[in-house]
Amino acid sequence: MPDGMSVAEARPGARARSLGALPRDGLLLVLLAIVPSMLGGFWIYGIGVCMANAVAVLSVSFLLRYGGEVSIGQSFFLALGAYCVAMMEREVGVSVVVSLPVAAVVGVVLGLAFAWPSRALSGIYLAVATMALALAVPELILLLGPVAGGYEGLYVSRAPLVGVSVDLQRYYLPLVALAAVVLLLAHFRRSRQGLALLTARDHPRAAEAFGFSRGYARLAAFAISAGIAAIGGALLAFAASTVSPNSYTLWTAIYLLVGSVVSLGSLGLFGALVGGAFITLVPQVLASWGDWVPILYGLALLVVVVLGDRPAEALTKLRKRLAGGRGG
Amino acid sequence: MSAALQDLLPLIWTGAITGCLYAIGALGLVMIFKATRVVNFAHGNMAGLAAFVVYAFTAHSGGIGWLAAVAVALAIVVALALVTYGVLARVSERSDLRGTIGTLGIGLILQGATQVVFGADIVNLDLPVPRWGTSVAGLRITSYDVAVLVVTALVVATLFLVIERTRLGIAFRAVSTNPFASRVCGLNLFAVQGVAWGTAAGLGVIAALLIVPTTFLSSTTVATFMLQSFAAAVLGGFSSLPGSILGGLVVGIAMNLFSYFVSPELNSTFLLVLILTALNLFPGGILPQRGGGSRA
Repeated sequence: MPDGMSVAEARPGARARSLGALPRDGLLLVLLAIVPSMLGGFWIYGIGVCMANAVAVLSVSFLLRYGGEVSIGQSFFLALGAYCVAMMEREVGVSVVVSLPVAAVVGVVLGLAFAWPSRALSGIYLAVATMALALAVPELILLLGPVAGGYEGLYVSRAPLVGVSVDLQRYYLPLVALAAVVLLLAHFRRSRQGLALLTARDHPRAAEAFGFSRGYARLAAFAISAGIAAIGGALLAFAASTVSPNSYTLWTAIYLLVGSVVSLGSLGLFGALVGGAFITLVPQVLASWGDWVPILYGLALLVVVVLGDRPAEALTKLRKRLAGGRGG
Repeated sequence: MSAALQDLLPLIWTGAITGCLYAIGALGLVMIFKATRVVNFAHGNMAGLAAFVVYAFTAHSGGIGWLAAVAVALAIVVALALVTYGVLARVSERSDLRGTIGTLGIGLILQGATQVVFGADIVNLDLPVPRWGTSVAGLRITSYDVAVLVVTALVVATLFLVIERTRLGIAFRAVSTNPFASRVCGLNLFAVQGVAWGTAAGLGVIAALLIVPTTFLSSTTVATFMLQSFAAAVLGGFSSLPGSILGGLVVGIAMNLFSYFVSPELNSTFLLVLILTALNLFPGGILPQRGGGSRA
């Protein structure tokens, strides 16, 4: 499969890098695992939400990497996952462990449902269509009626394990899920399907010659991305313990794109955490400077877009500019 | 049934008036897209900032006149558009989507700047036209409606005269058809693209000033309004100026009918369905032209 080769060559050292990243990712995971024993409740909550957002950021990066498309409608699938968890707890009385897989499946199905009518769109058309999707989210939630809790939203209080601190569960579940998603994505990169998607993105005609149509690639990339976003939403609902229509607006979707761009489209653990932290911690730290948050996000987006022709070069440039400052 | 029909005409009328404003917004989006292949997601935020500038200069006693305030706002917004173009010009040469993401960044900055400078206030900003209204065949026509129609007609006529008849217009068409070839022919690409960005920003300001009197002015009003313009531009094929006008009217009328006969709470969902349906029925927009956006 010569084109599969060229795809692999297009990112030299991809395999070596993913292997090289293993010790660092392991260290990062160990660090994250011992955080609750060292930091207070505020940070446990904050980092828990960070990790949930990191999964959501991954869904945007995935679509960017494998589909070559920009989505500013990811808040739809985020809301889907979040409300799946909240409503299943309210109606059926099951915890997030049961509803998270359901959320993922529903995300994939609705991802396909959206991707099918928009399978012929790409570039700006898809961006505008996803924008319209994001705009529709709050009113669709309200349409569900009292089951979804209306404007006030719902609480997510049921924890999977009995007898263990709920706050700790709200922290460790996102951690485990984030690690699992990153691991699965690393495997996907080396899988037949992953290579096929990359081929379809870079050399659509060659991919079609191998019987892998662009339309199918689009559906697959979108469905997987939607599934990841729904998982992120489910984690977010559990970590933040509440869902409401206000949390899933067009801004949410734009901020997720900001997170993805700031993480340089990374599908790794570190990048995802940087993206998740950027969109979670900045508003918390700058709580009294609320109006400056969009300005900061906009600047970050511009800096990366203008500087970043290639992620690695941009990162070196950024590192030089920050003069060894913290990455996230 | 006849009652519903009696409602129909006024609904179409008011929808068409709003549609004219969507069309003016969409014209700006399409001009920028034709000239530089960038979808300007900051369009609404720029225009919103301009509306606030006009408010700031006219609201308090001792302010300058309305026309002077509009001139100041236009100057600021055109300068902003040129800066945006300057920042993103080199970026968008490399990839369409990258430039488009960049405009989202500009939009966020302008949104934040509007909130920092003008606060989260909700204010009123009226047009300086006398209040007047009349009834023609059961239609209530107000001075506002007439103002919108006159301004739209003037804008569209001027724009098409310039694009069809002047050297600048020919240069614009050349650049939007083939930037490389126009540069080879000695056209100043940056000048033409800059003019397109500036003109588009000015069109956005006009649309903003005309829409604000019907609601109120807050830091998000105009940006929210401009989202309908995106739909209008997409319906028109995103690279056709006449298409965007038609798209604006279709969106305006269809949304008005939908919110009256079905539900006003599902407007955005209807917009989504409208976009997806239209793009499936008319893959090149209602009035297709060559050189549209990239497609699968």
